[in-house]
Amino acid sequence: MDARAAAYGAWIAALSVLSLVCVLGIVWAEMTSVQHPEHRLVGGALIGIVLLAYSFILLFLRKGGFTGV
Amino acid sequence: MYKRVLARLLRWTLRLDVVINRVYPEDFNPLYYTGGLSNLFLTVLILSGIFLLFYYIPSFNEAYTSVEFVTAQVPYGQIIRGIHRYSSDAFMIAILLHLFRNWFTERFRFSRDEPWISGMMLLLFAGFLGVTGYVLVWDQRAELLVAMTGNALASVPGIGGWLRTMLYGAPGTTNLLLPRMLYLHVGPAVVLYIFLWWHYVRIRHPKVWPPAVWTLFSLGLILIFCSLLPAVSQSQASPVATPTRLAVDWFFLLPYVVLTYLSPLWLILLGVVIVAYGLYIPYQLPETETAMGLRDSGVAEVVDANCTGCELCYYDCPYNAIVMVPSPHPGVTKAAQARKLLAIVLESRCVECGICIGACPFEALELPRLLETDIQERVLAACRS
Amino acid sequence: MPELGSAGGGRPKIVGFLCDWAVSAEGIAREDGTMRDLPHVTLIKVPCSGFIRPSWLEFALRNGADGTFVCGCPLGDCFNRLGNNLIQDRVIQMRRRFERQKIHPDRVATIYYGLHQQAEFVAAVRAFSDRVAALPGPVVPPARTPASRPAAGAGGAAGREAAGAAEVPAEQEGG
Repeated sequence: MDARAAAYGAWIAALSVLSLVCVLGIVWAEMTSVQHPEHRLVGGALIGIVLLAYSFILLFLRKGGFTGV
Repeated sequence: MYKRVLARLLRWTLRLDVVINRVYPEDFNPLYYTGGLSNLFLTVLILSGIFLLFYYIPSFNEAYTSVEFVTAQVPYGQIIRGIHRYSSDAFMIAILLHLFRNWFTERFRFSRDEPWISGMMLLLFAGFLGVTGYVLVWDQRAELLVAMTGNALASVPGIGGWLRTMLYGAPGTTNLLLPRMLYLHVGPAVVLYIFLWWHYVRIRHPKVWPPAVWTLFSLGLILIFCSLLPAVSQSQASPVATPTRLAVDWFFLLPYVVLTYLSPLWLILLGVVIVAYGLYIPYQLPETETAMGLRDSGVAEVVDANCTGCELCYYDCPYNAIVMVPSPHPGVTKAAQARKLLAIVLESRCVECGICIGACPFEALELPRLLETDIQERVLAACRS
Repeated sequence: MPELGSAGGGRPKIVGFLCDWAVSAEGIAREDGTMRDLPHVTLIKVPCSGFIRPSWLEFALRNGADGTFVCGCPLGDCFNRLGNNLIQDRVIQMRRRFERQKIHPDRVATIYYGLHQQAEFVAAVRAFSDRVAALPGPVVPPARTPASRPAAGAGGAAGREAAGAAEVPAEQEGG
């Protein structure tokens, strides 16, 4: 594995950890949303962040050469 | 002059592509998928709109409160309302990118004027939908929009009052207004799909969806926007407090901003001129055969003797210009004698690109002004030099 | 090739098919289609890269060219929507056919550059020309002796998915 692919792999790992944290945040926001309806906004933002992270994971998978055309 | 400006714009467009292609792989370049992105946002709009339709009540007393109910009481209602708001803006951005890109790269030549015309219709309807959507909320902005639109229509000499009555259902603001606006929000949204059919009908393998990277990115961005900048109404419209301030959505309400600088009649005239020019763009540069050179090599012709009915050109033609018909008589060559089908070129759909020539391994298609023998002569001359 | 030292040409002799919407030939090609910097390369303009019949690539190789390439718009941005993707697939098929005919598949190539990327285009053509110059042997195998050699290397693998290559004369299958 060359250095370029390793760098992208590291980014993918970081984004995966980030999205995992965000998913935990979504669960927390949903569980507390009955008392605090404004937490739903936080949950929505976290879903957005997860989707963004996934989009960059897909991009880095491609750019690092892990997936083909 | 126009040609020079267009060449300059084309240069910028392609330079932008080069920059983006350095960052993204070529098949992820978002500017190659502006049409697909528009379709993505339209789908999001339809789905979130169906959700909002369940709660919306089109009457003066309850419209505002029903929207507030969705926003405050329904779980994630605020988010879904935001999705509907922000993806409408994204829809407009994607449509405009699509328009300008195809304008600057001149992708409206020959029979491609039909996608262009239907695209202008889609743009018009999308803009109209945006305005009626802002009226449905029935806050002060909505009231202002209704007043401004009414005044603008009424200023048309002769038929002005009639136009306003046609739109609002009565001379003044009556109970008919909001149901009418709801219909004018939902009905044209359905009509969009009819225009989309027209938009796609001459295209084979249309790119109707962006790559997953951009689907996820767009949805994520919209969600972040609707959480950080929640979509809100202004205060409720009421007959006593005259609205003064127009909170502007620059993608849909730009004409209403222009109203502060132009009289309504001039604005309507300007709009008509812009739309008419937009529809005229594909026909603006009538070029002679010589000026077009290779690009006008004549409509592809089927060589009846050689066609084997294999359908390869039919599958590859990007504009659905080739149809297969039952063969009326056998071909001449050995491979063509047992044919069941014969390829026919629909002249009105052909853009003279020659892709069918490359598809045909049986030498059964030719561009009349650029024959296979011409190419072979050039190859031989090149090899001799 | 025989015309190694010929005056105007030089080696390797390369024929390039150039899409009219892709790289602008203005400034990089002369009137007769030869390139200014690489006089052994001749450009033939076509209305779209998808217009090119893969058999013309073979025609060029069999008539004295050492290499041929196709230049289209950047992938995904074909003026005619699909032309460059189609020619890419067709050239890949053609390379397999060349392998079976003992023609080195690297003698054909596809490159994709937009209207104003002339510098990159010239660099890519130069790289292709150097690669072709380094290829061994004659372009087309000299003698066609049917059933004399056992099929080597690519013949077996490529032969199986050669359903679309039915019009290739059977004696070239090397079997």
